[in-house]
Amino acid sequence: MKINKIILSFISAVAILLSTSVVSFAKVVGDKIVLGAAISLTGKYSSNGVHTQNGYNMAVDRINSMGGVKVGGKTYKFEIIYYDDESNPKRAAQLAERLISQDGVEFMLGPYSSGLTKAIAPVTEKYGVPMVEANGASRSLFTKGYKYLFAVLAPANLYLDVAIRTAVELNGGKGVRIAQAFEQDAFSQDVRLGILDAAKETGSEIIIDDKLPKELNDMAATLVKVKQMKPDVLVVSGHTKGALTAIRQIAEMKVDVPMLAMTHCDAAKLSKQHGKNSQYALCASQWHKSLTYKDEFFGSGMKYAADFEKEFKYDPPYQSAESSAALLVFKDAFERANSFDKKKVRDALAATNMQTFYGNIKFAEGGQNVDKPMVLFQVMCDGAGKCENKVVAPLKWASAKLIHPIPKWSDR
Amino acid sequence: MNKNLVLYASILVFGLAAPFIFPAFKVQLSILCVLIILAVTWNIQGGEMGYNSFGNILFYGLGMYLCASVQVGMFFPLAEWTESGGEKTFVHTPTQFFQGMAVGLVVAAVVPTIVAGLIGYSILGLRGHYFAICTLGLGVAAGEISGGIEIIGAGQGFTTPPFPNVGGLEARGEFFYFCSFFALVFAFITVRGIYSTRFKLILNAIRDNEDKAEAMGIETMKYKIIGWMVSAFFCGLAGGIMGGLVGYIDSTDVAFDGREMGVFMVLMAILGGKGTLWGPVIGATVFHIFKEGFWTFFLGWQYVALGVLIVIIVIYFPEGIMGWLREKFPERFGEVVDEADRKAQVELK
Repeated sequence: MKINKIILSFISAVAILLSTSVVSFAKVVGDKIVLGAAISLTGKYSSNGVHTQNGYNMAVDRINSMGGVKVGGKTYKFEIIYYDDESNPKRAAQLAERLISQDGVEFMLGPYSSGLTKAIAPVTEKYGVPMVEANGASRSLFTKGYKYLFAVLAPANLYLDVAIRTAVELNGGKGVRIAQAFEQDAFSQDVRLGILDAAKETGSEIIIDDKLPKELNDMAATLVKVKQMKPDVLVVSGHTKGALTAIRQIAEMKVDVPMLAMTHCDAAKLSKQHGKNSQYALCASQWHKSLTYKDEFFGSGMKYAADFEKEFKYDPPYQSAESSAALLVFKDAFERANSFDKKKVRDALAATNMQTFYGNIKFAEGGQNVDKPMVLFQVMCDGAGKCENKVVAPLKWASAKLIHPIPKWSDR
Repeated sequence: MNKNLVLYASILVFGLAAPFIFPAFKVQLSILCVLIILAVTWNIQGGEMGYNSFGNILFYGLGMYLCASVQVGMFFPLAEWTESGGEKTFVHTPTQFFQGMAVGLVVAAVVPTIVAGLIGYSILGLRGHYFAICTLGLGVAAGEISGGIEIIGAGQGFTTPPFPNVGGLEARGEFFYFCSFFALVFAFITVRGIYSTRFKLILNAIRDNEDKAEAMGIETMKYKIIGWMVSAFFCGLAGGIMGGLVGYIDSTDVAFDGREMGVFMVLMAILGGKGTLWGPVIGATVFHIFKEGFWTFFLGWQYVALGVLIVIIVIYFPEGIMGWLREKFPERFGEVVDEADRKAQVELK
């Protein structure tokens, strides 16, 4: 059996390959703090992955150009190692392992979406690597007892809670009839749980409760039911594709519904892509540029939006803003810890209490940000067909009055 | 025989030492073991029996969900574990974790085997393209259905029990590496064993001409089902290990991942050379190395690079790496070559 020789030489080739490819850089090289991130550059979350990456890059450039991070009297600059997780949790977990054990990363930034964050969190937790994440909102992330996970955003179940309460209020305090359709993924299903809670508390009734597939490009079946049953509120959530599909088909099928509540309108650039068809859509958002929070790096939300637009040629969705905020949180924590010890940085992160252009940040025991409310904006168009997102709730931040009910398609 | 022993012993030693020689690559090596298991067992259908199954992913996903469910369900209420809004935090003690994992893996291997036996009778009656399409449907359907079952987390996904705090930082990686390595050894020995019996000849007979095999008095259905059950057993086992390794199960992206794992197992077997014992092993290894390399050096273009690789394989190595080697060096495969015959072939070209 000469074939054995072939196989043996093959195995030794593999062994040599493995042993020569161990590259390990430390978390802090020279004057650089190396952060690791697995981002969805391809796959179903690729557009939001890019929003996230742009947010990270924007903040890295800004912080580095404004003097960097001062630890122990020395100035350091941020640098990020990116990998593409292909929107796949299995891949994300593998990459987290790789960033930590092969690339020697000791501080992580989060991926895009709750599902991927769920896959990465067990790994970072095991190695005691602090992770500040900006795009994993699912409530179950914060009930697993993770000690090294910090999220700058409000949990997913709060996303459309306000919308339901507003609808009930406008209905004279009586419960409303809700139709809802959610993508089969961790984030959207959590938004759904939030709606269920809100419905229970307000005595509202859920008359349609549909699930949408992950490769979302058709929800006509749900919309046909909506046309028949005439609910007071239609809730749709399914990341960027969900928002785009909903608006496209609602306009095509001329579905009349008094209130349409969604997520990811800004990430999907609805007002640009669908113009007047997206008018009156009500969207949950972690952030809006018109909010009046401030910090020394980006100034205000308006200024951040202008700078972002200049660099990336589009209006920043909240996914980018919250990602930028994650780096501000890291910088602040490093400086307060005055050390690169993982445990000390973790403790400093836990004690975070700051304001950024994106909002106030203060972490609860489970790691979620408890100091920042969600906002609702509505897509509003002027006579010329130019559409904009205007904050309508909560009242403290509102820059426009909610238009309710949505005019019928025949009257538009 | 002597040389064989040297070969297997050196592989075994390499496998046992690998996580300590290349500690940074434990996860990749564990995944490699799982990939090899999937490729080797797919080869029983696709290579030896001539039934191109896209449904083996069903057993893999089933094993994954079963192992995790058993591991949780043995000690805590499963529904509360997977409920997203639940405020309770459950923590496995080390004993609970390992006990759960052990029982979970047994269930993960046995139940898919039974399932394969039950559905095999109807599905293996189909042939050719019909069989391929039907099995493709199996994986897709399983993904959609499991995405709607609340008790295993539905669309929320299922976080498997975190590894207990024992044995330091490297313990988790080592544990899952040895799980997958021993599963691989077990799978390889079993498959090698059955390939040395009449069973393999029967599978080959089915591949070459099923009707003739039947006419010769072979109960083809029985052997087809048994072959599928063997595959299901190891796919389920591999799935159970992979679930623990990834730490998070998503219905369509991790468990019933027909688009990736389901296709990869076919690709790896073909790359290495289907219908051989070693082909899938080599195919999986080469595939994994190339894939990891592309991910590092062609970020954003990795699938384009992978596509180019597949095109190259199809054009230049249609019989896979083993097939190509066999053609080049037939003597090394113990084939007797007639010199005159070879010359005649060269002249023909």
